[in-house]
Amino acid sequence: MSQSSPYTIEIFNLVKKFGDVTALDNVTFSTKAGELFFLLGPSGCGKTTLLRILAGLEKEDSGRIILRGRDASSIEPYKRGAPMVFQNYALWPHLNVSENVAFGLVERHIPRKEIEKRVADALENVGLKGLGKRMPAELSGGQQQRVALARTLVLNPDVVLLDEPLSNLDAKLRHEMREEIEKLHKNTDITFIYVTHDQVEALSLADRMAVMRNGKIYALGKPFELYHRPPNLFCADFLGESNMIKASVMRTSGKSLILQTPLGIWQAMSMYPSPPAEGTPVTCMVRPENIKLGSGTGNTNKFKGTVIKYKINGSTITITIQVAAGVTIKASVVNDYNLQLEHGTILECYADPENTVVVPE
Amino acid sequence: MKIFMKSGIRSTLIILIVILYLGIFLILPIIHVFQKAIIDNTGFTLSYLRALFIEPRQFNAIIKSLTIASLVTLCCLLVSVFPAWLTARKEFPGKTFFSGILLVPLILPPFVGAVGMKIVFARCGALSTLLYKLGIVNGPVDWLGTFPLMGIILLETLHLFPILYLNLVAAFANVDPSLEEAALNLGASPLRVFKRITVPLASPGLFAGLVLVFVWSFTELGTPLVFGVRNVLPVLIYDNVSEVGTNPMGYAQVVFVLLFSVAGFLISKNLLQKHRNVATLGRLSIIRKEKKIPWYITLSFYILFGSIVLVAVIPHISVILLAITRRWFLTILPQGYTLQFFVRAVSSELTRNALINSLILSTGATIIDIILGFSIAWLCVRTKIRGRNLIDSISMIPLAVPGIVIAFGYLGLFSGGRFTGTWIDPRINPMYLLAISYGIRRLPYMLRAAHAGLEQTSKIYEEAASNLGASPWRVLKRITLPLIMANIVAGAILCFAFSMMEVSDSLILAQTENYYPITKAIYTLMEGLENGINVASALGVWAMALLASAMIWASCLLGKKMGQMFRAG
Repeated sequence: MSQSSPYTIEIFNLVKKFGDVTALDNVTFSTKAGELFFLLGPSGCGKTTLLRILAGLEKEDSGRIILRGRDASSIEPYKRGAPMVFQNYALWPHLNVSENVAFGLVERHIPRKEIEKRVADALENVGLKGLGKRMPAELSGGQQQRVALARTLVLNPDVVLLDEPLSNLDAKLRHEMREEIEKLHKNTDITFIYVTHDQVEALSLADRMAVMRNGKIYALGKPFELYHRPPNLFCADFLGESNMIKASVMRTSGKSLILQTPLGIWQAMSMYPSPPAEGTPVTCMVRPENIKLGSGTGNTNKFKGTVIKYKINGSTITITIQVAAGVTIKASVVNDYNLQLEHGTILECYADPENTVVVPE
Repeated sequence: MKIFMKSGIRSTLIILIVILYLGIFLILPIIHVFQKAIIDNTGFTLSYLRALFIEPRQFNAIIKSLTIASLVTLCCLLVSVFPAWLTARKEFPGKTFFSGILLVPLILPPFVGAVGMKIVFARCGALSTLLYKLGIVNGPVDWLGTFPLMGIILLETLHLFPILYLNLVAAFANVDPSLEEAALNLGASPLRVFKRITVPLASPGLFAGLVLVFVWSFTELGTPLVFGVRNVLPVLIYDNVSEVGTNPMGYAQVVFVLLFSVAGFLISKNLLQKHRNVATLGRLSIIRKEKKIPWYITLSFYILFGSIVLVAVIPHISVILLAITRRWFLTILPQGYTLQFFVRAVSSELTRNALINSLILSTGATIIDIILGFSIAWLCVRTKIRGRNLIDSISMIPLAVPGIVIAFGYLGLFSGGRFTGTWIDPRINPMYLLAISYGIRRLPYMLRAAHAGLEQTSKIYEEAASNLGASPWRVLKRITLPLIMANIVAGAILCFAFSMMEVSDSLILAQTENYYPITKAIYTLMEGLENGINVASALGVWAMALLASAMIWASCLLGKKMGQMFRAG
């Protein structure tokens, strides 16, 4: 589909209230054509409401939605062409699989022969060949999910909305489906808007993502950037594991800060828009996998502590290290038989200043 | 294994009690009627049944009754679909109130309403006078003489559409909105969504409602009787039953009605069976939020609901006017008003007793129906016990049986033979049999309502509760009943309202004035003194007031819980 703008969806200052609850608070972002864009956040953050407004199922209180370069606010939901995969799949229980998939094509008055062909193709694409005559109730959760997906893809859309599509599947199926969605995304130029509360899903699949909380976008960007350079504490905490170290600023030099911490003198990258003044209390964040065992080469960002406990995750192992009273640090290291991990073992650790960030509230 | 045994014993016990009850109070009277229809002095014969299709008078009556029933059903559908959909799907200020007043037509016994309408439609009545004064007609028009069926169809539609409305609201509310949203999202316009998704998914409730209305109007006796239309099937039956011992044609007619209606219900059941797979997915999580509706749309809802109610209460208003009127002839509105008829309606012992009797009887019948109706629905939908479908079919029989038949069966069975002079003998005290017959007559409404509720509510919720440690009794109380409460309350309101206005049972079973229910008292008054029709109307107004307060109470109850009940999340 030709685009008049490089953006498929543009959203400006969207506000939505339900009674006293603000579901969306001045949300602005845009998605490029063909992008796999994630809306990530805890439940109740407004991400599903945002998706429903995009689909036209809820009406925004104010703000603008531009869909394919056109103002979409007044477009009826059934004319928006933004098919959605519902969290509960919403398969119509009185229609069989083929009829479910054919639904949108029938509404678009596609000739019957073509419908049959496209439905068969769509079912084959999602691995449900030959199950067309089944009723939804006769399918497993994973199969229902595939029907819900096929029902949208059969329309050859340029945008597909996904509302927690994998949340009702077991871990193995979720993994499989994740890979299939990735493949689908690679092979088509569909813009996917994908809502989830699962940060692993978002980090592993997203081209870009918006991290949401209380109706606001807290961070917007590529997963790699947001993971390593979170713009705020919520984002840092929500995306993966983190060590938060209370510190105070000793010196600033551009983006780099020298900090006084309970672990000693640390150097870190500042995420503050402007450098914080000396003496400012700040929080310094370092991911467990960025804590290395050994003495390192630098003079800063190192500490000694005793092993309290450890947890095996499989290929990695997470060690909890007590540095001082009330100060513990988690380190994730490659699982290795040579590791000395008895309770009370003294370990020497360090971190790279590039992987150490000072994150504002 | 132990659990299987326990639930087996429980279902078996319930089904035995139900069978015993229905056997004595439903099957025996019907067998009595059947016997009389096919066995005469000469032994077994089918000549009376055959006569139904050979004698033009009989056959015409059948055709006429079917025509009335079809038109009434169609009209009810036209009136109730849109308001029911609005009630189930939209939020607007005053919704509870407006959905409540749509039930107002239920508060008037149709034959009392017919008395009022007869005055309105009379040759020199209100309508003729109004049209004459507006210059639309040149002189008095005999509406009921010229269009004899119009009055019946109008009155029955106005009285019966709330039944369909209640069924439809429950059916629509049970359709997961996300299924409609998904259709909208994939390109179906609201009208197409309604046709392709909402209606098919609501069809168990929809069809149940249509069958109820059809059979109700097919067997309605009071309205044609008051309008003086004699050649419809129920009136033929009534006429024949009054000359019982001598003419077996009445029994043949009853048997025909019985077979016809049971066939209708079997078709309906088959359709439900086909939709069984619909229920297995259960209700999904539902996101329901207040949708803001512009004021002009809200206003148009008000106008829609308001105008339906306005037309529907014309019979009520005419009855109220009759109750306070001195003279009403050749004028649009009555001339001269008085309250004396109200005083007379409560001052006499006859009428005061009638009010109390009817309250007791209706409450009793409703309680019987809730217990019986829910138990049967539960057996049918939730267990695989043998004989459940038979019980279900048997319980639906009362819809097809005019009250006269059951009442006569009772009279024959319980006032003769070994029961003579016992507590249950209606000649000694008809209260027990009146309550039982009211209950039996209205059992199908309760059963259909509970049945549809259970059909549309997945068993998964009950299984989840028992899995988390709830005993069967606690599952019933905490999960099943709350989930289908809307259906139960709807069924209970119907049972109570219709028991209050039950006509034929009351006329036949209540023999002494002490035990007259309201309807029989009204009928007696109407036949009696010079101003009898006014006093009867006044009593009708008292009955309306009573019923109205019962309904308001019920709909408040429903209104408060409406939100929770229709949400599964």
